[in-house]
Amino acid sequence: MQEEPETASAGIHGRKKKEKGNMLKRLVTASALALTLAAPAAHAQAAKDTLTIDLPQDAATLDPQLQWNTDSYTIYRNIFDNLVTRDSSGKIVPQIATAWKYTDDKTIDFTIRSDVKFQDGSKLTADDVAFSIKRIIDPKFKSPQLSQFDQIADAEVVSPTEVKVTTKSPYPALLAQLVKLSIVPKAYVEKVGDQQFNAKPIGSGPYALVNWQHGIQTTLKANPDYWGKKPEFKSVVFRAVPDVSTRIADLRTGKADLITEVPPDQAINLKGASGLKILSVPTERVGYLYINAQGGPTKDLKVRQAIAYAIDKQGLVDSLLQGYGKPVSILGAEPVFGYTDKVKGYPFDPDKAKALLKEAGAEGAKLEFLTSPAYDQTQVQAIQQMLNDVGFNTQIVMLDQATFLKRRQGDAADAGSVAIGRWSCACQDADGIIFPLFHTGSTWAKYSNPKFDALVEDARSTLDKAKRMDDYSKAYEILREDVPGIGLYQVYAIYGASSHLQWKPTANESMFVDRMSWK
Amino acid sequence: MSSATIGRRSRFSRIPTSIVVVAVILAVIVAMALFAPWLAPTDPNHQSLLSRLRPPGYARGAMTYWFGTDNLGRDVLSRVIYGARASLAVAALSVLVSTIVGVSLGMVAGWFRGWTEILIMRLVDIMMSIPAILLAVLTVAVLGPGFVKLVLVLGLTRWPRYTRVAFGQTLQVANLPFIKASELAGAGAARILFRHVLPNIAGPVLIVATAEFGLMILMEAGLSFLGLGIQPPAPSWGSIMSVGREYVERAWWIVAFPGAFLFLLVFSVNVLGDWLRDHLDPRSRNR
Amino acid sequence: MLRYATNRLIQAVIAIFGVLTIVFVVMHLSGDPTLLLVPQGASPEMIAELRHQLGFDQPIFVQYLEYLKGLAHFDFGMSVVQRAPAIDIVMSRLPYTIELAAGALVVAIGVGIPVGILMATRRGGFLERLLAAFVLTGQSIPTFLSGILLIFVFAVKLRWLPTSGIGGWQALVMPSIALGAISMSTFARMVRISMLDELGKDYVRAGLARGLSLGSVVFRHVLRNASIPVITIAALEIGNLLAGAVIIETVFAWPGIGQLAIQSIQSRDFLVVQVIVLLISFTYIATSVLADVVYVVVDPRIRLAR
Repeated sequence: MQEEPETASAGIHGRKKKEKGNMLKRLVTASALALTLAAPAAHAQAAKDTLTIDLPQDAATLDPQLQWNTDSYTIYRNIFDNLVTRDSSGKIVPQIATAWKYTDDKTIDFTIRSDVKFQDGSKLTADDVAFSIKRIIDPKFKSPQLSQFDQIADAEVVSPTEVKVTTKSPYPALLAQLVKLSIVPKAYVEKVGDQQFNAKPIGSGPYALVNWQHGIQTTLKANPDYWGKKPEFKSVVFRAVPDVSTRIADLRTGKADLITEVPPDQAINLKGASGLKILSVPTERVGYLYINAQGGPTKDLKVRQAIAYAIDKQGLVDSLLQGYGKPVSILGAEPVFGYTDKVKGYPFDPDKAKALLKEAGAEGAKLEFLTSPAYDQTQVQAIQQMLNDVGFNTQIVMLDQATFLKRRQGDAADAGSVAIGRWSCACQDADGIIFPLFHTGSTWAKYSNPKFDALVEDARSTLDKAKRMDDYSKAYEILREDVPGIGLYQVYAIYGASSHLQWKPTANESMFVDRMSWK
Repeated sequence: MSSATIGRRSRFSRIPTSIVVVAVILAVIVAMALFAPWLAPTDPNHQSLLSRLRPPGYARGAMTYWFGTDNLGRDVLSRVIYGARASLAVAALSVLVSTIVGVSLGMVAGWFRGWTEILIMRLVDIMMSIPAILLAVLTVAVLGPGFVKLVLVLGLTRWPRYTRVAFGQTLQVANLPFIKASELAGAGAARILFRHVLPNIAGPVLIVATAEFGLMILMEAGLSFLGLGIQPPAPSWGSIMSVGREYVERAWWIVAFPGAFLFLLVFSVNVLGDWLRDHLDPRSRNR
Repeated sequence: MLRYATNRLIQAVIAIFGVLTIVFVVMHLSGDPTLLLVPQGASPEMIAELRHQLGFDQPIFVQYLEYLKGLAHFDFGMSVVQRAPAIDIVMSRLPYTIELAAGALVVAIGVGIPVGILMATRRGGFLERLLAAFVLTGQSIPTFLSGILLIFVFAVKLRWLPTSGIGGWQALVMPSIALGAISMSTFARMVRISMLDELGKDYVRAGLARGLSLGSVVFRHVLRNASIPVITIAALEIGNLLAGAVIIETVFAWPGIGQLAIQSIQSRDFLVVQVIVLLISFTYIATSVLADVVYVVVDPRIRLAR
């Protein structure tokens, strides 16, 4: 950015500048490297040109296919386009693809736009689409996202504006998954190689990368040749601010215009602040409690039921979530295909819980509550108390995230008794939730029920929507009977923003800057 | 008045008031740790979801929360009182571990010399060049957090300092005539080391230990603050402040009270430590 | 002299090697990052496939040898999280930690030395007691607490300084103070003790007897002699500063290698951790060797216990 060296030198070296001239210029440029990178980014401007967003982490990679983490996703989704996308109501709508047609259960033909250009000027054709798909499903590429797209068998170029995608078996979640597959430029990637592409990515989206200061911030500028609606903000800066109190302080001082991951307690505080507002939306993410059905005292069904009766979901939502959440009876939420409100959950009934424990002879049973710093410890401790109130002896086992995942996804004997989580497949489909959580053989499942397996397998291999809904209703009934876990609440995403920012957050937690504006 | 009384009076008048004040503070905190179950108004882990984040002086029913409540409605005063246990216990035990390991290795290195010395002193170099915090984070990553592991981690990262001192002192003491005499008389190494060398190097070692005690308190707080030390819901001043940090605008008392006590404890330990050092070490300067 | 230096160098290399091995083993014992990299819904087959592709299913000894082979070619490996050379990642964040350490050192020396001098020259007075309390306070406040308090007072309430992150010299002030406080105390005490040592010496009394002012004696002779132990302390304090930087970088969202180290350990980004540990231990060992050598060179009266 051209203006920064002058700003830095004016502030820091202003006096000396007059005295020393040329030699100083060289010195300033050299020493300015660390300091200019550190110079304040956005200045207060009359019209809002630059939007500043605070995220918890910097992007791990900007190559859309090399990682699976929310913050990278948030940033690179503005640089790249996908075949299809979701509008603000959650419906799947065309983006690069204008139309699609199922020629048979396993084959789908996409017609793509002919007016799209990548940020380096080259035209986006079916070649790029096929290349992008083939790249991510190639095991040698080592994409961590492979599991999201492993049902795709192949992608073929039919004509410069037609791509044929085939799946291994009928795959109803294909379109939902394609919402997340970004289109990368074949020629450019092949020319510069993967490493360089990651350092300087080029997409066809509304924003192009200007500067990526690793660990600090990423700056994007509006793409003047964008094929779609031109974005309102000329540039956007994503800053990495891991600490929540710092993000909030940034919002208060105006250093940031939008911040993510605001805890409910702070949201209450910010609500009344002048010039600020809270943006919140019910998402597809569901807070749940996993219960180990294959190991420890929770092997007994009565014990699991007692746990379910012991949890006061409404209490949690009211006091800990400050109303930013909605209790759910199943492990799913409204935006999710397959969601049903017909399955009744377990009401809060501590007396019933105590009775069940007595019946099972499990009073004082020792429960291991596995957790890591990635989860809200206030909730963990509150749930621990609820369990202990009905007669359990619950110990919190704090691990770091890697160890937590290792145990949770390892042997049932080592996987603790309970754990909380907030699950989202970013696909708005029950297949992405209950299949990995409870299907026999999945790393997350400490539970096995062949009837359940048959139902979810059937639901993922037919395109018949009605049949799928029926399968999922029955599957959720089984989950209710067996209690290998319970849904606690639908997560409301909470963002803090300047009151000038106009934006409607979506249920799938996407952040498209070109859908935001300033008043 | 007898001369004995006069003698006693003059010795007391040599202790400055500041030392007395600081000793009292330390005594209070130690008392907090020892008598926590009797001093704390309520169970430090008792949650009250309806009384979250209340300011100091908040009263509900029969209970007055003198230091306010935290994010789960727990009484901050009770948690601060119990938290004294974590700080003192971890610091004392880890200093004990370091002293035992460090002094033993130092004496052995200083007595046997040769390869033993090289091996041990290189190990000292290695251990001293890994920052303790990184080692703690690594250890917790592998073994998981917990009280015992915390004590071991802290103890095993700081022993090199004791080893260096013990080594240097052992070298000096080893050449003293009476040590040489016992050696000639046929006494075994272990006997000489523990019965003769150890008492003579105790002074400098104690000096290091007093300095380390204050540091260990700070390190335990730092590690608990990072989430690597005492695990919630068990109260530790560091972990209480770690949670309280998020609420510092809305509920400053969650950070303020444990912070004040932590500061007072370390301050007192340091002042007393300095004063003891001045009296134990003939080479240091008196006020 | 040369033999001593080469000896120390060889020992230093062995020490670095030892550190490397210990960290390698400890990290690998804690598991690999595969589970952290994949989306939640990944099947066991996918997870195993990725683990194999990334090379984590090989026995630890094989992985260790691969790593050493790479080191021999100065290849520090690729970060599996960021898919970029580990050395590049660390080097891009290093300047920020250096900036922070420099700032803290400025605070520590800039405040510590004058305070120490004052405490030595104004013995027994009210000023000395005040400064002694000041020094003790600096030593007794945990770094994270002073960080939190500074942010709360100067950034949130008074809005004089930025709340976090880098951004010109204003952003450097609070982290430097928080990090430098303990070192400041160490310097102050060191300077005070070493000056008191010097002030008691004959040449000082002789100078005063000849009519020189205390000030000129101090500046012309005492400081120079007192500075030797201070230099060696400074070298060792750098190691302490790097360690304290971990907490400060967390509290102030300062993107240095301390923060990177914690993040990399948590995300099991082994190779990045290895580079950081190598860097820190190299720095520590280098400065301690340097300090030893300087000490011997500058003061020929000192003989080592060999």
